[in-house]
Amino acid sequence: MFYRLSGVHHANYVSDSRIFKVPADRNLAVFVLLFGLAAPFIVPSLYLNSYMLPWLIWTAAALGLNLVTGWAGQLHLGYAAVMAVGAYSAIHAARFGVPWEFALIIGGLASSVIGSLFAFAALRVKGLYLALTTLAMQFVMDWVLTHSPTITGGSHASLQSPTLALLGQEITSDAGYYYVAFGWCVLVTIFMLNLKRTGLGRALVAVREKDFAAAILGVNSFYYKILAFATSSFIAGVSGALLVATFFFLAAPEQFSVNVSIQVLAMVIVGGLSSIIGSYFGVALILLVPGLVNGIVAGGSLSLGMQINVETLAHIPNAVYGALIVIILLIEPLGLGKLYGNIRDYLMVWPFDQLRK
Amino acid sequence: MNQLTSALAVISMMGGLITGSQVMAEPFKVGVCYDLSKAYTFATPQVSQAAMDLAKLTNMKGGIGGEPVEVIVRDHGNEPQRGIECYNRLSREGVFVFDTLSTPVSLAILPRAMQDERILMQSLVGRGDAVDGTVFDWVYPVGPTYWGQAANDIGYIKQLHDGDLSDVKVGYIYFDYPFGQEPIEILETLAEKEGFELLLYPVPLPGSDQSGAWSKMRRDKPDHVISWMLGGAHVVASKEMQRNRIPMEKYISVNWLNEVDIANIGAKAATGLKRGTNVVGGLDVPLRTEIISELYDTGQGSGPLANTQDVYYNTGLAMYSIIFEAARRAVELEGLPITAQSYKAGLETLEKYDANGLMAPITVTSEDHGGGGKTRIEMWDGETWVPQTDWISAYSDVVWEVVKESSSKYEE
Repeated sequence: MFYRLSGVHHANYVSDSRIFKVPADRNLAVFVLLFGLAAPFIVPSLYLNSYMLPWLIWTAAALGLNLVTGWAGQLHLGYAAVMAVGAYSAIHAARFGVPWEFALIIGGLASSVIGSLFAFAALRVKGLYLALTTLAMQFVMDWVLTHSPTITGGSHASLQSPTLALLGQEITSDAGYYYVAFGWCVLVTIFMLNLKRTGLGRALVAVREKDFAAAILGVNSFYYKILAFATSSFIAGVSGALLVATFFFLAAPEQFSVNVSIQVLAMVIVGGLSSIIGSYFGVALILLVPGLVNGIVAGGSLSLGMQINVETLAHIPNAVYGALIVIILLIEPLGLGKLYGNIRDYLMVWPFDQLRK
Repeated sequence: MNQLTSALAVISMMGGLITGSQVMAEPFKVGVCYDLSKAYTFATPQVSQAAMDLAKLTNMKGGIGGEPVEVIVRDHGNEPQRGIECYNRLSREGVFVFDTLSTPVSLAILPRAMQDERILMQSLVGRGDAVDGTVFDWVYPVGPTYWGQAANDIGYIKQLHDGDLSDVKVGYIYFDYPFGQEPIEILETLAEKEGFELLLYPVPLPGSDQSGAWSKMRRDKPDHVISWMLGGAHVVASKEMQRNRIPMEKYISVNWLNEVDIANIGAKAATGLKRGTNVVGGLDVPLRTEIISELYDTGQGSGPLANTQDVYYNTGLAMYSIIFEAARRAVELEGLPITAQSYKAGLETLEKYDANGLMAPITVTSEDHGGGGKTRIEMWDGETWVPQTDWISAYSDVVWEVVKESSSKYEE
């Protein structure tokens, strides 16, 4: 009824390897895309500016991590460090006078180089050992940032980002920032959607499932792992640079510290490994729910006239948020993306599947 | 169509006027976006409680210019994006004075506040060069910067040595992190100027392992140890000092050392310990006494009484006395309603204001947003804090040189 599967047949490979195999999915995606385009005119600026914008940029970043963790199966605990490399190189390039378009690419490439250089060393080990080496990368980067004033901008370690300008157009409005973030997120999403259908995507999945089995099939697992690290680092670098250019307006080491790395990993895991829509949901949960729950709890206690200590008030949302993560992972260990998939599957031929039962 | 829209506009404007006149007592709001759940919880409960108590007391006395004051406390968990969200949300509710008490969040809000022309109070946190009002029009780090505090500590040591520091060794133990690294530059400049020997002892966060630093210190034998650490790290330091037989008298802490830390060190064991501060420590502060008798004795306190027996509570009272006093001045200057512009003007008329003996007198001008950066050294005598100096601001020329050098880079 909702998905209208009648008449949907895939009789050849080209048709079967479409991104959206069911027209309803495509229509939903188009609708969401149109909503995203119209958002600055519909959504109040508070929500556009403090929720949707960071949500989109972090989603792009989380998709990048999903590439290396979800697709290639390599646990990465130093993702924020890679983002920091991109952010700092792009800002320094822009401050030096390089146009922002190139500055962003420089940021991405710098991240890519450092990310894959590190991967060269780190990929000699696997699994938890790899996770620990990536964690080490995070700490190395933290140390470098807090100890090099020339990179981080003086003894306060805050580096002002020049005004973002793309295609000769200075971007200063809320809607402008939003569209930049939106554009980047759409770009990364399209890339990831297509990744599934390419040989590269399949090779990455083969490496994830069993890397020596993949090697027997002729897939050079080391090469693909490096490629995954390099690509995801590029996405991380540009996302980090955009995060600073459109949202923070200055870079500080705390924005890319170890807990941020863990947060991004949580976004990917709660969202669902190798699930694209899951990354959107995961980022929403990890990034936005604390603030939203905070607002709801504060508003609720105010309207009920309860005298709650501000400290208690601050900790209730944390408890709720923690409980939410646990509950979601208990209900569906494969994450929010799988949860969405379950609902979709249930509705796929509804109500006709009910007749059989 | 045009007529319709203009008619609508007129109606809505009239509506605004009517509701505006009905709600005469539109409160003066302060946005208190604090970290009440993560890294800064060693101080934020006391400070926010002080803010709420002071707001209550001010309202009991008739508010500011007949209007009530309101402090809106929200948690941002020390996360920049949640701080920005808090700032965005509250500024749409008409708040134009913000306080974050968190360096990362203050840094994140600063560019927005500068652009939106809203007041960012950032006493004791954030970038110290924001005291330069010629660059940072809308940022007011009223109180001492870490640079100023470190210079004042050296000023105090100089007093102890009768003005001659040539044979003196000063150790500096600090979190190896921007917070602790900040004063190094100024200490090095002063070491060169005064001829004392500066020894650096970095300690990794969170300061639970300091054994290496202190055993090195036992060998180096510095005459004084200036400490830039927080909370539990002071307790670890005191244990290491006892183990290495370094007398407590040598320890001069940054302002972040409170009664909880003293209790953890042990009131007796902490005898002789010193700290730099910009507020009067202890319970005998007129404002605090008034709050206790007006609010806590009648059961209207904003939190547990224990929180008020803490120097951070006094710090909070000092910060919010300044914030409310500036609002009062704004009303005197330009009347109601208070706007960001008139509030700024009000702040900049504060002269030798000490909130009835609560803190170092501050004089805010359009150039100096820090208010003079005076601190004093207090010593713990086993029961209470004993002031060792007057309110001093030493080497202000050197401090300002560093400030100017750093602030000039902001607009590049």
